[in-house]
Amino acid sequence: MIFLRRRLPLLITMITGLVFAGQYYVPHPASEQMLTSATKWLQIIGGFALVLGVTSLFHQHAAKIRRKEAGWGYSLVLYVGMLGTIAVGLLANGKESVDGAMTAFGWIYSFMMVPLQGTMFAILAFFIASAAYRSFRARSREAAVLLIAAVIVMMGRVPLGEYLLPLSGDVSSWILNVLNASVRRAILIGVSLGAVALSFKIIFGVERSYLGGGKE
Amino acid sequence: MTFAERMLKIDRRIIFLVIGFCTLLPLLYPVGLPIKISPEVKSVYDYMESLPERSVFLLSIDFDPASKPELHPQAIALLRHAFRKNLRVVAMTLWVSGTGMADQLVTQVSREMGKENGKDYVFLGWSPGNTAVIINMGQDLYQAFPSDYSGKSTKGLPVLEGVHSLKDVNYAVSLGAGNPGVEAWYVFGKDKYKFELGGGCTGVIAPGLYPLLRSGQINGLIGGLRGAAEYESLIGQKGRAVAGMDAQSATHLAIIVLVAICNIFYFTIRRQSHS
Repeated sequence: MIFLRRRLPLLITMITGLVFAGQYYVPHPASEQMLTSATKWLQIIGGFALVLGVTSLFHQHAAKIRRKEAGWGYSLVLYVGMLGTIAVGLLANGKESVDGAMTAFGWIYSFMMVPLQGTMFAILAFFIASAAYRSFRARSREAAVLLIAAVIVMMGRVPLGEYLLPLSGDVSSWILNVLNASVRRAILIGVSLGAVALSFKIIFGVERSYLGGGKE
Repeated sequence: MTFAERMLKIDRRIIFLVIGFCTLLPLLYPVGLPIKISPEVKSVYDYMESLPERSVFLLSIDFDPASKPELHPQAIALLRHAFRKNLRVVAMTLWVSGTGMADQLVTQVSREMGKENGKDYVFLGWSPGNTAVIINMGQDLYQAFPSDYSGKSTKGLPVLEGVHSLKDVNYAVSLGAGNPGVEAWYVFGKDKYKFELGGGCTGVIAPGLYPLLRSGQINGLIGGLRGAAEYESLIGQKGRAVAGMDAQSATHLAIIVLVAICNIFYFTIRRQSHS
């Protein structure tokens, strides 16, 4: 049992990891064909993952409704919304429009999902303004530097700012291209090196948490 | 409670009202301040201009309706430019929730420009697999998308003549609101299949893409509504983005004024407490 639970997954991970790391450097048609097949599998698994995700969401909210936990009404709305959309989507064969005519599924998408998502995002502008008023204070030297940089970038990114402070456009561009890009690059290099190290640890079986717990 | 303290604890609904007015008034009474073109947006425009007729232009509409105000105008401007240049447009999305919106977008602009589905453009739709779709397209486009969004087989479509994989794409632009987006297209697409890549994104994630821009991993970047307004100005077809710039100018200025006021009151209170 230990072999099936532990050693075999570790062996599969090691072989697959090494083969696909090497595949990148081998342009032979057989190697390319292997990548094509593997990515096709990934696409198929991705489709199943979607079903798994939806099923898990259903289970979670069904439990909430059954136990009448706090906010169970929202779970009910989610259930009705999801089941309704799935039913309508199946009837419309997943199409928003057929021969130029909008289907019921298209109606839900265009007149419910699009405005709802747009509204959620638009509300952010109001909360950001309120949060900026309450928390964007020059409490220390570092906060003051951040504040000045933010004001310059905000001015430099809009025509009115550039009109009032003609230099703000160039200074904002310099902040984004030099200061911001170099700091981001440093973070990116650090994260990438971390990812490489973690990949090696997984491939060689040092990191095994992905196998999950349980008795051996 | 002093006046400064009262002002620092101002009802947030007043701030909401200020932002609401600053957004609404410029939309009702536009000023139309001139928009300066940035080099990163100009690079995308110049590359599109340099493409010969019937070149293959891939537009990946990687966003959902939440980012529509910023990225929709970018997509419209890019499609108008591509159709005007008589490029072959291959549109798709990596975001399932953006599929309907992307279809409407491509259909609307192609109708406006008098282009024919299957001959001048194709909308491939969405396929599961996230970034694996990019690799699969790089290996074999017809395996990744055996049929287009309307269900027609992609094999034999005149718009895809001579196109087998991403290697045959002349220019690709990903308009991304997150992951998968511009970065994924570089890591899993351009790096391996060697096509030129440009990016478009929301204002929030634009600073994170500057390292890719500076190192030449993407040849240009259209950032947020401002980037869209710049592109609209470049193609000489002003639309929603240019109209929205006045509102964005006013709200940015309002936030700056609010932050300045809050700092004045903050320092007033601090001085009072020290003395």
